[in-house]
Amino acid sequence: MAERVLITGMGMITAIGETVTANLHSLTHQHSGLGFTRFIDTIYKEVLPVAEVKYSNEELARMAGVPGQPGYTRTSLLGLIAIQEALQQAGIRDMQQEPTGFINASTVGGMCDTEKVYFDIIDPEKEGDFLRYIDTLDCADCTQRIADRTGINGFVTTISTACSSSANALMYGARLIKQGLARRVICGGTEALTSFTINGFNSLKNIDKQACRPFDHNRNGLNLGEGAAYLVLESESLVKQHGSRVLAELSGYCNSNEAFHPTAPSPEGDGAYTAMKEALAMSGRSIDQVQYVNVHGTATWPNDLSEGRALERLFGSEVPPFSSTKPFTGHALAAAGAIEAIYSVLAIQHRLIFPNLNFAEKMEELSIVPETRLLEEQAVTTVISNSFGFGGNNASLVISKYEG
Amino acid sequence: MEALKQTLKQQIIEALNLQDTKPEDIDDKAPLFGEGLGLDSIDSLELMVLLERHYQIKVEDPREGRKILQSVQSMAEFIQSKQPA
Amino acid sequence: MAAITPQHSFEGDLFAQPLRSNTGNLLQVTEPDYKAFIPPNSLRRMSRLLKMGLTAAQQCLRDSSLGVPGAIITGTGKGSLQDTERFLKDIRQYGEKALNPTPFIQSTYNAVNGMIAVAQQCTTYNNTFVHRGFSFEHALLDSILQLQEGAPHTLTGALDEMSEEHFYIKSRIGYWKKEPVDNVQLYNTLSPGTIAGEGAVFFSLSATPTAHTYAHITGLKLLYKPAVAGISAGLSAFLQEQQLAVEDISLVITGRNGDSNFEHFYTELDKVLGTVPQLPFKHLCGEYETSGAFAVWLAAHIMKAQQLPQQWFPMQADFPAAGFQRILIYNHFFGEQHTFVLLER
Repeated sequence: MAERVLITGMGMITAIGETVTANLHSLTHQHSGLGFTRFIDTIYKEVLPVAEVKYSNEELARMAGVPGQPGYTRTSLLGLIAIQEALQQAGIRDMQQEPTGFINASTVGGMCDTEKVYFDIIDPEKEGDFLRYIDTLDCADCTQRIADRTGINGFVTTISTACSSSANALMYGARLIKQGLARRVICGGTEALTSFTINGFNSLKNIDKQACRPFDHNRNGLNLGEGAAYLVLESESLVKQHGSRVLAELSGYCNSNEAFHPTAPSPEGDGAYTAMKEALAMSGRSIDQVQYVNVHGTATWPNDLSEGRALERLFGSEVPPFSSTKPFTGHALAAAGAIEAIYSVLAIQHRLIFPNLNFAEKMEELSIVPETRLLEEQAVTTVISNSFGFGGNNASLVISKYEG
Repeated sequence: MEALKQTLKQQIIEALNLQDTKPEDIDDKAPLFGEGLGLDSIDSLELMVLLERHYQIKVEDPREGRKILQSVQSMAEFIQSKQPA
Repeated sequence: MAAITPQHSFEGDLFAQPLRSNTGNLLQVTEPDYKAFIPPNSLRRMSRLLKMGLTAAQQCLRDSSLGVPGAIITGTGKGSLQDTERFLKDIRQYGEKALNPTPFIQSTYNAVNGMIAVAQQCTTYNNTFVHRGFSFEHALLDSILQLQEGAPHTLTGALDEMSEEHFYIKSRIGYWKKEPVDNVQLYNTLSPGTIAGEGAVFFSLSATPTAHTYAHITGLKLLYKPAVAGISAGLSAFLQEQQLAVEDISLVITGRNGDSNFEHFYTELDKVLGTVPQLPFKHLCGEYETSGAFAVWLAAHIMKAQQLPQQWFPMQADFPAAGFQRILIYNHFFGEQHTFVLLER
């Protein structure tokens, strides 16, 4: 029988906290990370809210343990901070004991730093230190910086499927373990805010000038965010061999495609429905065993309609409590799937259901509304976490309490 | 109005790279989306860019945009309504 | 299979196509007529890499006649450079106002995957790897996992383009040779840097052979930043896993590229390989992140035809006799990502 895939460590940094504990604190105290950017050079500085990590690159470099060392982009620094926490929590001190893979996710790599020097890079008249950023243009740079700094010695790769990237990274890592190609893989994603993505989503006219309102009738788009999140996945036999502490089980997953449109989901939520249904089937849980859905809930007009319809199709009249945590963290693109996977684990560990902020009015197309209160002392044992992206890429993860 | 519609047709063809379409192929009142030219939601965003670049008219809400962008006729009427008489 | 590459690789009999030579250190693909593959209403918006990728994918599915794939998995080092460059320039030129969304959408690394899914109405697994010299090889590994998990067949591809602008950017940090090199003379001019290339190559992979099968991919090994000695050790370990001796390999296709900075990895490999015949391929497609897909495509053709496209190797004094049972591919990307792929008949 295939190995079960267990989560033994987590690390993260987002606009609402630089550790998992700090994130939990903000979630339970309903502190949103949305505000205006301090670090991005854009005309939308005081127009479009973003969920920015509160530290400068110099401060992040110190936190990551690489102060004053050149070549680390903000993407790499965020990732490095998050992975170090994950390794520490999993009790991994010596990578040499067990080959450890690293499946990272990124949507624009080091664009955060390269966009500032791009026109110098292409100008033959200009020379200088900025040339060292040329190699950080792609998505692999941050992955390798993080891998090299932490001594990763197994599979190393990067996935980019837009907003579902890190959910797919978790899925790929889990499959490598199930097929016996690895026993320990660290999976997740890292994303830094850029003028490139702010202008990109703005050109699609789907950024809200207010704090985003997922599943609200008057929702008007998303807010971008940044951050990094990694989960340590281990095979059950490795966990038993080391006696490691298990935080939760990644019990099911599915990637399905809309095959509908480059940026829009199908109105009936076909892809979302299939992804959730298949992931749940793989986990061996039934719909009545799901206590919480951490929805993709970007607050764009099409996503929430499509995702809401998929929830109604799957759960019928018994839709479990669901919420989007994007009003806390913004939409951190490649990091979003892993951030929300960690929130799903926290929901199980701390018996919580997190509130969907900024909701006021029910969508007329749907009969369901998101959970707007923090629910405590909930017996949460199975959570679905959704991440959907451009290219019709839908990924659902099922995270369950590990019963041994 | 006629001249504006002619110009608009040329601008639409350029903006959307409708290589095999000539201005006279586009009927003033024919729907641009779905049936008509077979345009989609990304084209509608591109047409809003056209309005902003050439006519300095900013359409904020994509849903409002759909109404304005129904046909060449509706686009021209909208542009005229926004321009000082 | 289907390949849009700097060679005449897309249509016709491979073994009758002349070698395309080039002296500008940048090999660009021979573009087919995209209209035969993409409806005009879709084509009008698409940038170059998207056309290359979608067309190679469609042609691959025609070639395999396997129908809608069970998974679409690609690798790309850089995605659509043309769109990324355009959006960066638009932001500056128009002062962040009234920007066309199309280049932003198409700059997304999985844009081609999404378009293939729409064109094929394929609603199953879809993934994109973006890790330099591992991009294609992880797409291949993911596909093998998919087949083992029950997908009937996968569409697995690799795509990269090289723009003039990006060629210049990489030249600033020594990726390319300073002096212009005739691609046919690539291996005689050992100096720092190599020549750039690009391509879009797709494969239909199935778990069971069909009447049309080219070859059997039996092994894959990836090494990240190994020491030089790690190459010979890695190859020995790989052969051992496959229960093979060096003599069991009929032909080795290597990524040699005339770059004196990284030649030592190939020299190290020579030590293990001894007298096993070798053929280089970078003079045909140039150096790029997913060039490994070109090598697999070439090896699969050789395996099926049991014949070499000898006209493509004018630098080769003699050729191994036919009877190719196993072809080993060894490639690396600027010394960081090293890959071994084994094909059997």
